[in-house]
Amino acid sequence: MKVLVINNMAPFVWGGAEELAENLKQNLIIHGHEAEILRIPFKYEPANDIISQMMMVRAFELTNVDHVIALKFPVYLIRHPKKTIWLLHQYRQAYDLFDVGLSNIPNSDNGLKLKKSIKNADNEAFIESRAIYTNSKVTQDRLFKYNNIKSTVLLPPVNNPEIFTGGIMDDYIFAGGRINGMKRQCLLLEALSKTKKRVKMIIAGPPDSDADRNTLILLLEKLNLKDRVKLDLRFLPRQEYANYLNKSLASIYIPLDEDSLGYVMMESATAGKALLTTSDSGGLLHLVKHKETGLISEPNAESIAEILDVIWEDKKKALLYGEQAREYWNSLNITWNNVIKVLVK
Amino acid sequence: MKIAICSSFIPFINGGARNIVDWLKCILEEYGHRVEVIYLPQADSPELLFQQMFAYRWIDVDSADLLICLRPQAHLIPHENKKLWFIHHIRAFYDLWDSPYRGFPDDFNHKGIRDALISIDTKALNESKKIFTNSKIVSNRLKEYNKINSEVLYPPLINPERFFCKSFNNEIVNVCRMEHHKRQHLLIEAMKYTISPIKLRLCGVSSNQQYYNDLLGIVKTNNLEDKVILENRWISDLEKVELLSTCFAAAYLPLDEDSYGYPSLEAAHSIKPVLTTSDSGGVLELIEDGISGYVTEPDPKALGEKINELFINKNKTMRMGENALNKITSLNISWDHVVNRLLT
Repeated sequence: MKVLVINNMAPFVWGGAEELAENLKQNLIIHGHEAEILRIPFKYEPANDIISQMMMVRAFELTNVDHVIALKFPVYLIRHPKKTIWLLHQYRQAYDLFDVGLSNIPNSDNGLKLKKSIKNADNEAFIESRAIYTNSKVTQDRLFKYNNIKSTVLLPPVNNPEIFTGGIMDDYIFAGGRINGMKRQCLLLEALSKTKKRVKMIIAGPPDSDADRNTLILLLEKLNLKDRVKLDLRFLPRQEYANYLNKSLASIYIPLDEDSLGYVMMESATAGKALLTTSDSGGLLHLVKHKETGLISEPNAESIAEILDVIWEDKKKALLYGEQAREYWNSLNITWNNVIKVLVK
Repeated sequence: MKIAICSSFIPFINGGARNIVDWLKCILEEYGHRVEVIYLPQADSPELLFQQMFAYRWIDVDSADLLICLRPQAHLIPHENKKLWFIHHIRAFYDLWDSPYRGFPDDFNHKGIRDALISIDTKALNESKKIFTNSKIVSNRLKEYNKINSEVLYPPLINPERFFCKSFNNEIVNVCRMEHHKRQHLLIEAMKYTISPIKLRLCGVSSNQQYYNDLLGIVKTNNLEDKVILENRWISDLEKVELLSTCFAAAYLPLDEDSYGYPSLEAAHSIKPVLTTSDSGGVLELIEDGISGYVTEPDPKALGEKINELFINKNKTMRMGENALNKITSLNISWDHVVNRLLT
């Protein structure tokens, strides 16, 4: 079957959604389909231009395509008789972010009209789709709350799971992922300054901004942690990232209220590593079970320091939790094989 | 510099219109630029033209410092610094209007669509900082229909140094999609008039199973099984290089092609002459009769005679291969030239 994956594009920007689309395409091909990605530019500023961009998507004509899989607003508005939506997110500024005052849509007559137009167009697109899947429980709940549309959660699998082999443990705890305030790497450093043992850590990933980078570097110096913390602040080639993870003693990731299971934790479970997180990390808690697949602490430096000490002192526990994390993850059967079967039903 | 390359595409159809885009991206990246390729869908049916033109008009790529547009209707995208490498019009409304390929009636409605299309195209074309084309033919059409001047910028191959000449065996080859307008049927029929041991090798996929069946039928009807090798598949790049390095000549006779077409250029880089026809369009900008190949009437007998001549008169064949290679230099077909012209 000829399957066209459709995604938004912000020219010259590449992120998680782009990776997901690329992996979806590759896995469709592995399953014997022809697959391509159509990326349509979308810019949400100024808000007044959103309407014309919705019409733009609606005006395109697709030929020579058997099945469409659309991922985001506004590209899921595209017309096709066989359309499946795998919803990563709607235009949240017209929904939940508007409600909490974090929107570029003004709370005025015109703004409310725009908000209503987005909702109407969304509803039409959802109704004309043959199936709607969401990438998380949070997305699913939002879609039901605001559009009264039922959907099925289809969690995105790990990309290239085969490279997360695990392996011989070295003496460091790994903290991977993007570096920013929401991911709270600064809190990790503070926790390290309070551990009883000389716990070592590698923090690796791309900082969102220069400010994020500098804050972390300054704090490292201030807390005098240079001899036991390695900062590798850049976008890591995937294999390098996997190498760090595979050789680690355990993996820690403490984002504030994340929507999803978090790629870092999914990859860590695939690699058979004990999972460390905090009680306010949101979706991760579906994967991290205290004293089973890892350890959960309170979101403060003292409490995090405690679980770091526990895992550092007891390598057998680290091994056991890691093994159980892998088993639990595998039991969820979140694989590309399964995703493709569901999407191209 | 941040460069956006925009073109239109039909999903799952590959060919020259994608090569020029994808190769330009590679080359511009080699020159140190950040490049984003944007392919957008385009369906050519008359009643759907205008809504799609709105869509192109609403595309915003202001984050790029330079926009380069290729296949239509990409030239409608607005940008402060827009340059075109224009490779063809929506031809049914232009040069193919008075041909069997128009596909809709010559009536009041369609004339109205045509006139509106031409007027919008002209306006959008005039917005660009500079217009390049892929051939004299396309430049002439821009002049004739839109009254617009342009510069010919011949599209090179990527890594052309991979092609070379090893020998001259008994095969004449044609490597391109098997489609009616590429006229493999004429080549097969020409083999009725060729001497032994000449063989014709045709390699390529077909979007139309019927045409391939027709070709098989022509081979069978004329008992040409020993003289014609049909490979209905997308051959690998290595195979293509090998075939062209050992054949005695290449044949390429598309009907009224916009540019010289990559098969002609690949043969020239392999130092082999090209057999083509007087109605093949842009091919004639690269291949001159008796100099870098032969240009005959689109007639099997005339083609067959030239195939014999190419095989028998090896010295001349080799000389014409050299001339084809030299023509690439004299037409300045190189990426250095392309990048230099596009970016200055």
